[in-house]
Order: sequence, then C-alpha cells, then structure tokens
Amino acid sequence: MSRILLIARREYAAYARTVGFWLSLLAFPIFAVLGGAIPILIRTSEPVREVVVVEEGPQAAGLAAAVQSAVRLDQERREERRREMTAVAEKQGGAAGASAAGDALDRLGDLRLRIVAAPADLTAAAPGAAREAVARRYLGDELPEAQQLDSVVLLDRTDGKPSARVWTRRATDDTVEDFIRDALRGANRREAFEGAGINTAVVEEAERFRPEVTALSPRSASGGEVSFRDRLPGIIGLASGFILWSLIITGASILLNSVMEEKSNKILEVLLSSASASEILTGKVLGVALLTATVMLAWGGIGAFGLISAAPETAAMVGAVLMDGGLIGYFIAYAVGGYLMYAVLFAAIGAFCETPRDAQTLMGPIMMILVVPIIVMQMALQTPDASVVRILSWVPFFTPFLMSARAPSEPPMIEIVGTMAGMFAFALLMVWVAGRAFRAGALSDVKLSWRSFAGAIRGGGK
Amino acid sequence: MAAALTLDGVSKRYGDFQAVRDLSFEVEKGTICGFLGPNGAGKTSTIRMILGLQGVTSGRIGILGADDGRKVRDRIGFLPEERGLYKKMTPVDAIAFFGALKGLPTGEGRRRAREMLDAQGLGAAKKRKMKELSKGMAQKVQLIASVVHRPEFVILDEPFSGLDPVNQQGLEAVIRQLAADGATVLFSTHVMQHAERLCDKVVLLARGQKAFEGTVTEARATTPRFLELEGAISPDQAAALPGVSGVEVVSDHDGVRVLKAALGQGGRGQDALKAAFLGGLDVRRFELREPSLHDAFIGLTGDNPDIDQSVKAGAEAAR
Repeated sequence: MSRILLIARREYAAYARTVGFWLSLLAFPIFAVLGGAIPILIRTSEPVREVVVVEEGPQAAGLAAAVQSAVRLDQERREERRREMTAVAEKQGGAAGASAAGDALDRLGDLRLRIVAAPADLTAAAPGAAREAVARRYLGDELPEAQQLDSVVLLDRTDGKPSARVWTRRATDDTVEDFIRDALRGANRREAFEGAGINTAVVEEAERFRPEVTALSPRSASGGEVSFRDRLPGIIGLASGFILWSLIITGASILLNSVMEEKSNKILEVLLSSASASEILTGKVLGVALLTATVMLAWGGIGAFGLISAAPETAAMVGAVLMDGGLIGYFIAYAVGGYLMYAVLFAAIGAFCETPRDAQTLMGPIMMILVVPIIVMQMALQTPDASVVRILSWVPFFTPFLMSARAPSEPPMIEIVGTMAGMFAFALLMVWVAGRAFRAGALSDVKLSWRSFAGAIRGGGK
Repeated sequence: MAAALTLDGVSKRYGDFQAVRDLSFEVEKGTICGFLGPNGAGKTSTIRMILGLQGVTSGRIGILGADDGRKVRDRIGFLPEERGLYKKMTPVDAIAFFGALKGLPTGEGRRRAREMLDAQGLGAAKKRKMKELSKGMAQKVQLIASVVHRPEFVILDEPFSGLDPVNQQGLEAVIRQLAADGATVLFSTHVMQHAERLCDKVVLLARGQKAFEGTVTEARATTPRFLELEGAISPDQAAALPGVSGVEVVSDHDGVRVLKAALGQGGRGQDALKAAFLGGLDVRRFELREPSLHDAFIGLTGDNPDIDQSVKAGAEAAR
C-alpha cells in the first residue's frame, strides 16, 4: 500500500474508531429532529388553563360575552388555518404530507385556555376587595385541586373603556393576560364601530377576507403558476451551502487538530523520515476527506430515509432537483475544491502549532473571513443575481459556498465554469503554498505568526 | 571498507545563524559511529540533512549510494531526539504502521513487532495503548518502530536521553546487535561514556565544526595522560615535577587540593612520583590516569560536552 494510503487509512481509523466520532455524527440529525419536536412537545404538554370571567358590575355588561366570543372566533380562525395548511401540504406532499401537516397543526393549534363557569361564591361576593379575596382563594393551594382555577378575570370599565384585572395562579404566565387584552381590544373596536353607526358584522366579514394571490413565473416548471417544486432548488442550494460550509470547516478543523497533535507529540519528524511532506499532507487530507464523506453520507442517508418515510413525493422532488442539470455534480465539485483549499491551509497552520492557542494568531482572521459567505448565502436565496453575491462568488475562498447556493438558480454558464476554474486553480496554489509551509513548520520550533508563516512559504523548509 | 555515509564540506545556515560549517566525514558500512558534541553543536541539523529532511546550504551528502537521504529512506531507520508515537495506538499497531511506511507488509510488521517486543521484555504491554506505557517502555517501542524494517543504516539522535541506567545498558546491547546484523549505526550523544563503549569511530562536533574524526583510541591519544595528585600541594610544586607540562586545580579544601597534572611528551609517572617523594611533598593520593573521551573532547575543543552550547551562545550574546 502506498504511503499516502497508509497515512490516510490511519487518519481515518484514528477518528472513525472512536465513540465520540459516531456520537457527534449522529448529534446533528438528532438535534435536527429534536429542534422540530421540542417546541411541539412543549406546546402540547402545556396545560389548558381554566379561566373564569366575571363582570364587576352593570357597567361591564357584555364584556364576558365578548371574551367568550373571542375564544370562539380564535378557535374558528385556527380551524380555518389548519384547513388551508393541510390543503397546501396535500398539494405539495400528497396525502401523507397532508396527514403529517394535519397532525402537527392539531398538536399546535389548540387554544390553551378554556372559559369555565364561575363559582357561586365568587359571583356572589361584592365587587372589589371582597371578590378579589375570594379569587385569591381559588388560585391558591388551600382548596382541593379539582376546585382550583388557573385564572380569574375581573372585567370592568375604566373611563368607559373595557378593562380587566387578571389574576393568575402563576405570576410568570401571561397567556391569559395577552388573550384578554386582545379580546377587549376587539370589544372596544366593535363598540367604536357601533357608536359610529357602522355595522360590525360587515367589518368582521371584511377583516376575515383573505385574497387569493397566485404567484406566476415563465421560468416555473409549469410555465405559469409557481409551486413549491419551483422554490425547492433555492432551498436545496441554500441548505447545501450551509451543509458544505459546516462539513468543510469541520473537516479542516479535524485536520488542524490532528497535525497539531502530531506536532506536539513529536510524531511529525518520525513521519517525515518515512514519507515526504507532500505524501503526509496528501494522506492526511485524504483520510479526513473520507471521514467528511462518511459524515456527509450518514447525514444524507438519514435525511433521505426520514424524508422518504414522511413525505415521499417531496423526497422524489428533491431527488429530481439534485439530478436536474447535474446539480449534484456541482455540489460535489464545490465540496472537493472547498475542502482542498481549507484543509491544506489548516494543516499547514497546524504544522507550526502545538496547542490551539498557538493557532489563534492565524485562525482568528480566517474564521472572521469565513463568516462572510454565511451572511451572503442568505441573500443569494432571494436574489442570486445581486451584484455583491455575483462578485463575491468569484473570490475562491467563498466560491464553494456561494456558488452552491446559487447553482440551482441557474446562473450564467460563464460564471459556473469561471468560478469553478478559479476555485480549482486557487486550490492547487494553496496545495503548493501549504505544502511548503507544512514542510517548514513540521521541523520548526518557531512561534507561529504571519511573518514566520510567510517566511516558511518562501523558504519551503530548505 | 566502503562508505555508507559521506559528508563533503556540508554547511547549514538558518538566516544569520551558522549551525554547521564545512563538515566532512565518512562512516564505513557495518560500523558504529558516534556523533558527539554538546547540545546545540549542530548534531540534529546534520542528521536532518543526512535524512534529507532539510537541505544543505552548501556541500554534498552521499548515503547508501544516493545523493539524497529521501531517495533511500526505506533503507534507513531513524530515531529522533524528541520522541513520540500515537498515544491511542497499541505498540504492535504503531510499530507495524511505521514499518509499513518503510515498505514492510503490515502482517509481517505485526509479527516482527510482537517478536521484538517480547525480546525487549515488553510482551505484557503489547495490547496496551501507548499513553499507558512508561517513558522508558515508550522509548523502547519507538526504537523498535525505527528498526522493524531491518534498515541498512540506522540513525539514532540522542538515543540514551531520558533512559535509566538499566535501559541505557539494554540500548547499548541493541545497538551492538544492529551492527552485528550488518547495519551501519550513526548515533549522536553528548554522553561520552556510551561512545567509548560502543563506537568503532567517533566524530566530534563543536560549534558546528568538526573537531575530530577517528577511533576512540585515536581520540584519547590526542590528549596527554595525566597525574591526579591529592594533598597539601601547591600548583607550582606540582608543575615543577619532571615530565609535567601543565597543572589544573580540580578542587581546593583548606589547602588540601586535587590537582590534575598533564604529562608532556615522554613524561613518565614514576619519575614524577619519585621526585615528589624525594622532595618531601605532602602527597596523599597519586594516580596515573589515561585520558577519557570526555577529556579528549575538552582537550580538542575547549568545550565541555555537558554544557548546552546553544544556551552558552545565548548567554554570551546577552553579555
């Protein structure tokens, strides 16, 4: 076996044999799932608050009915929204997608409060301090749990306008307070309209109106109406850019740490007596590339399995987008070029360092530069042809990420070919530069600085 | 005998610092050559140039018939001064990996690794991770890793440093065995006793320059024999003894001194002893000493090999 493959194999095995690697590999999909599931869990585990509304006298007449009406209207709106979302999901993801969307909305959609009948002693108590004393009792722990309430809302009017005192069991819970505020605002609006002689039913009808707007584009798949399928390439491009960024930086960082470890453990010199600097660098870059590919395949596999299981039609659409026009080929090319550029650079820096602190001198500015494509990529989703996006796409350090994000929007072929050629040419230059620096750094005891790094590139370890 | 290694006018400069200056010497095949000098004398730089890890500033190096160590790296075994192996690997895996880099099939490397570990008394440590081994054990493993492919030329940079006396003795045996098996061995050290016991030839390096090249006996012959005198004797009294060419005070405790008196050409110990006795000198101990390699080194270079020259140079620069 060639030295390059031997070094690559050792590099791969050193990480792939550790439990930590597999845990971190699974961490991303697990957190992605948890990221979606946790809000649902939190929402569904939220208790339905039992709320009592009491009018504090004749001046507040009608306000309790207004609150009850607001509850009813809110439920109707949620139901309507659920129907709309289910229809969209069905249109885009088929029956399975509609079912999944319906389930999720069911779990999220309910209003988490319920108006219950007021206890007799509460309504019988005199408005003001006496009634509030009774309310306190229902919100405390002295009564049996079945009789306890979550909130008591005392409705009144201040300067003729609806107002309320909202007593709640938990001081931090403002759900009821917010709902009552909205309900009373609605009640006030209706009263204001009625006072002005406007029919409130007409106003409510007008407010409920949702215009039907259809997005059209000659570049859509149907040649007319824009569907989710037409927007999917942009989403995939952006996701690919982020994933690529994450994988490249992770891979390059693994390489940096690996070289630093070999430098601090005095292994690099032994390696250099057995293999050339280029062989060591190539072997290590290859080993970590295989590691990165393993991560990518694992993530891709888990993602594909999840998508096919949950929404097969969407999965088919994603597959079609990736294959369409060789998009997946572009992604692979950008991944290779980007990884090569950053991996060799990080490895060369690692050859000068024994601790992460040593590496900070150069890594700090590099990481700051790496934030730029993250910001610009988001702009590329909406306006892939914006001048700043187009110009920055030509900067080789940014090309892999920005062009991955732009590629699905079908940028001009000259830009694809030109940026890719520039990226690979620059990657080769980086390999040459980093090779010289790596060779010099491996045997050097000089502290890392911009000056020593530049000197090493000039001298090449001679 | 054919030369396995030839250095011809080799110099190495790092910026303004001249690490090695016009160095020339040869090492014959199948011999053990000691490359001696204090720390900072230029030994490691020379070894790196021999291996091709660093280029020469000027001069020429020939090793195993090649003009660049990199061309014959599979036939060379190297133990660097600062040692380290992958901490999470087992000794067998580490040895087999480094053997494989030198072209040894992995299976054969593992077989030899087990055999050599057993021979070095490390059989019980075969399955432990490197990080779990003691420093001495790890150094033995690294030595095995550097010779597992049975190299023709073995370069050991300060192989004895950090080893306890028992392990130093064990290492001396390994070096002798390597030479007995036909390998050429070049090892650097600043401890002269190892070289005295092991080397067919020594090359003395001081401040980047060769101070001597030859056998240990030849090196000793460059320095006169000397008398070691102890008693209430003044340096002038010792200098007046017949055959004595120079006197150095080794110690002085309330007038009781230990003096080192060099014997000049043709000087004889018995003549000096007779004169001291007849002269009524208070001699409590009289010893005729053959010079050691350490003495020869000091005589040849004026440097003490136990003193780090890079530190000394730094101190001088600071002054």
